[in-house]
This record gives sequence, C-alpha cells and structure tokens, in this order.
Amino acid sequence: MGRGRIKMKQTKYVMSGGLAFDEERDMKRLASLAQKGWLFEKFSPMGYTLRKGEPAHLQYAIDYRKQPDRDYFAYFEEAGWTHEGSAGDSIHLFSAPEDVAPIYSDIETMVEKYRSEQRLMGKSAVVALLFTLVLWWMSQWGIGGLAEGVVSILLVFSLIALVFTGLPYLGYTFKLSKLQK
Amino acid sequence: MARQDALESGELTDTSYYILLSLVEARHGYLIMKTIEELTDRQVAIGPASMYTTIKKLLKAELIEQLGEDQDKKKTYIATQKGLNLLKKDIQRREKMIQHARGILKWEGDESK
Repeated sequence: MGRGRIKMKQTKYVMSGGLAFDEERDMKRLASLAQKGWLFEKFSPMGYTLRKGEPAHLQYAIDYRKQPDRDYFAYFEEAGWTHEGSAGDSIHLFSAPEDVAPIYSDIETMVEKYRSEQRLMGKSAVVALLFTLVLWWMSQWGIGGLAEGVVSILLVFSLIALVFTGLPYLGYTFKLSKLQK
Repeated sequence: MARQDALESGELTDTSYYILLSLVEARHGYLIMKTIEELTDRQVAIGPASMYTTIKKLLKAELIEQLGEDQDKKKTYIATQKGLNLLKKDIQRREKMIQHARGILKWEGDESK
C-alpha cells in the first residue's frame, strides 16, 4: 500500500444457511473463514459481515437469550468465550479458541435452547397463518379497486411471514427430535 | 411443565446438582463454574449457556434465591431451604443408585482399575 493512502477496511458478506436449519454448518463456516483471516464483524440481514484480519483458529457458537443481563455475558467471559455480537436482543454469537469447552454441557439445557425458539416461531406462524387465511378469504370477495389491491399486497406479506416462521418452526422441531432421541 | 415437574419430584440433573451444591454458601453466579471445577478436580465443567439456563430454572423453582447485586451488577445466589432439602433427597437417591450397583458388582470402589 502506498504512503499516505487511507487503509480501507476490507469486509465481505456471507449469507446464513438459516440458523433454524443448520446452525452447526454456519458456525463451522465462520470458523473456517476465520482460519483464512475473515473474522466475524457483525450480524447483517440474513447473514454475517466479516472483516479481513489475522487468521485465527476459533470456534463460534450461537445462543438465544432474550434481554440478557450482565451476568449472562460474565459467565461466557469466565468460561473463555468472547461475545462477538448480537442480532436484536436475543441472538448472541460467541467465539473462543478451539480448546475451550462448548457453551452447552448437557442435553437438558440444550433442549431448552431450541424449545423456546420453537415455541416462539410456532406462535408467530399461527398468527401469520390466521392473517393469511383471513386475507385470502377477503381476496375472494371480489371487492375490486384499491381495497382489493391492498388486500393482495397484505396477503403476499402475510405469506412471506408464514414462510419465515413456519419453516424455522419445522427446523427447530426436527432439531429437537434429533436431540431427544 | 414437564421439566419443572422433574425438579419438584426431587430429581436433579447433574448440572442442577452441582450448582445447588456450590450454592450451599452464597456465591457470585460467575464464580460457580470455577467452584465446581475445583470441587471435582476438573472432572465436571459446566458450559456458560447451560449454567445460565439452569440458574434461571433453579430461581424459578425457588431452589435458590438472589441475595443481592454488587456495583458491577453481578448477582449473588444462595440455596434456599427448599433447595437444600431437595439436594439432600437427591444425594440419597444417588447413594442408592451406587448401592444397587455395588450389590451386583460386589465392588467397594476402593480397588484400583
């Protein structure tokens, strides 16, 4: 790089495979990219933004916790895990050197991690489904004009909401059935 | 809920067992992990996410209580009488499990492998 030139921060975006479907694969991918010097910078819409840095041998882990307190992060720190960032106030990413023990050490609490997400997605999917049914029913009236246009647009949105809650619900359900075998 | 019932009926998970045991004396939550590791000669290590989840669960079941919060907002916990009773009950259950095994294996546990 030439003298006096501003050093640009190099970043890149990688898409998530969907945490509800294959969390492990996302974490392994982040770890292998870290080995190549691409380190997690922050959560971005449907994925992660990475920054170029020194290659590092790290493992990554996701946890769900609504409105975590100071103690929550203190426990992770005490165990050797660094808080890398959060999406909203409930999805948290941690990293640690490869020899640090996993963040979950028993099946019972691991099941709870996914069960609370499953419940949340299940409830949201039911709401989305109700909206979709009502809007679909309204769209059959043939009211015409602006009202019908609005109903159609709302119907598309509620269908999207249904897909983005229903599929994760199924993903977590599948995950739980595997864990509880 | 099913999980809550398991606590009420007097069966502790290994994680709950060790957390309750280390909270016979009041302790900072984040020091529980270290206490358990020292107590068990590093044979038992509880992950931070499992630790946090289990502490929440024990609080909800009133087996432990929060004593206070220091200036860093770090919380101190101690086992309640209910928690101590359940711990004793669970120790007896675990003792019986070992007796059952010894009865069959005719082994006192002091021989070398």
